[in-house]
Amino acid sequence: MKALLLIVAVLSVFFVGCAHKGASSSIQGSMDVSHSQDQKAQPPASDQTIQQQDEEHEFWADDFENLDEEDSEEAIEIADPFLYWNKAMYHFNDKLYFWLLKPVARGYRWVTPEFVRTGVKNFFHNITFPVRFVSCILQAKGRAAQAEFAKFFFNTTFGVLGFGNPARNYPHLDVSEEDLGQAFGKWGIGEGFYIIWPILGPSTLRDSVGLAGEFFLDPISYVDPSEASLGLTAYDSVNATSFRIGDYEALKKAAFDPYVSLRNAYVQDRKNKVRE
Amino acid sequence: MRKPLVGLQFLIVVFSFIYAPQVCGGTPLEAVRTKVDGVLNVLRDPSLKNETAEEIKKKRLWSIIDELFDYSELSKRTLGKNWAQLNLEQQKEFSDLFSTHLGNVYIDRILAYSDEKVVFDKERRKKKRALVYSRVVMRSKEIPIDYRMIQKNGQWKVYDVVIEGVSLVKNYRSQFREMLKKKNPEYLLETLRKKVGDKV
Repeated sequence: MKALLLIVAVLSVFFVGCAHKGASSSIQGSMDVSHSQDQKAQPPASDQTIQQQDEEHEFWADDFENLDEEDSEEAIEIADPFLYWNKAMYHFNDKLYFWLLKPVARGYRWVTPEFVRTGVKNFFHNITFPVRFVSCILQAKGRAAQAEFAKFFFNTTFGVLGFGNPARNYPHLDVSEEDLGQAFGKWGIGEGFYIIWPILGPSTLRDSVGLAGEFFLDPISYVDPSEASLGLTAYDSVNATSFRIGDYEALKKAAFDPYVSLRNAYVQDRKNKVRE
Repeated sequence: MRKPLVGLQFLIVVFSFIYAPQVCGGTPLEAVRTKVDGVLNVLRDPSLKNETAEEIKKKRLWSIIDELFDYSELSKRTLGKNWAQLNLEQQKEFSDLFSTHLGNVYIDRILAYSDEKVVFDKERRKKKRALVYSRVVMRSKEIPIDYRMIQKNGQWKVYDVVIEGVSLVKNYRSQFREMLKKKNPEYLLETLRKKVGDKV
């Protein structure tokens, strides 16, 4: 853990430098971007300004210009070659949720005060810091990486091992969560096909590779008896579900074809996160 | 005495021309904010809390929502290419049923957040289109809800709601397209009728 912290500290110093360099040159860039003032706080990086402009245009194109044209319609679709497997897994996960996860999470919510559940949520979020940090670095998001590091440092020390979240009082540390799948997406790697994993849920080829990588970045994976590691992961998901009971039900209730609705929602969500 | 008054009238006329667009149509953000506040006020109204007031509550909610959404626009966008597959009568029925369903979904979602604070952040505008960003702020998390809007006859109306980055229109479009690949429009309408019928 000490060695990890050291590496992280060195890297963060490196990225502080990067971000400063980026900030100065982005001023030039912003002058010829017409709507840069309402651009979301994206970390500027020196050689990425042009790319950002393109993304900004893409954003507008997606939101406004292509709306009348049918080509934007196709863009949201995804190949689903394993339809039968996916449908089977969809039903498996559906039952898993309604028969096991939901009742357990409900009971857990009933007996556990909210501050405990929030603390546990914070803890698990804090400890998966390496996933977000590395994903920021892979996308050359210097400022976001810095923010992630600062949050981790704050919450681990003042937040007592991450159970508290004192960093939330600093809005500039509030960056969107990155993961490996998003990093690959940023590199221009396509989603591949849609796949639903048992227990893990909807994914794509690209995001599955990301998930595999994240397994190695997640400290929980290194907890010694693998049973304990699994137990922690299960507890994490029960705790997380206790905050989200009703969301999946709402999606199902609103849908005419829940399988297609879920697939589309997953793909839309991921596309959004890659664009951010 | 006369002259200054005429001058004043002239000024009023000029200013009313200058400010008329803002006053009548308002900004897209204001248009959504007033309507959403209206919806939340109805939901929070203590005199409408008990079961007997359910009908009045529904009526009031729908009168606000009817003004907020552009049903024909969102129905067309939802079916996309397939809109042409429906005949006029079917288009009309689809528009009616789908907007009822979407209204129900919207009320359901906003109902779940009725005790929370809704914050309107900003708007982006491009000619007759706009995007309004809002957030539902809760203790443990925030849920972004964006409204895509279009200006018609000076009025800003919503044609898509994007909840947590997922566009409802796009989501339904994918479902209907999948359905129309194998089934005819009549089947789609029947599915809609059933879904809307169950709700009421």
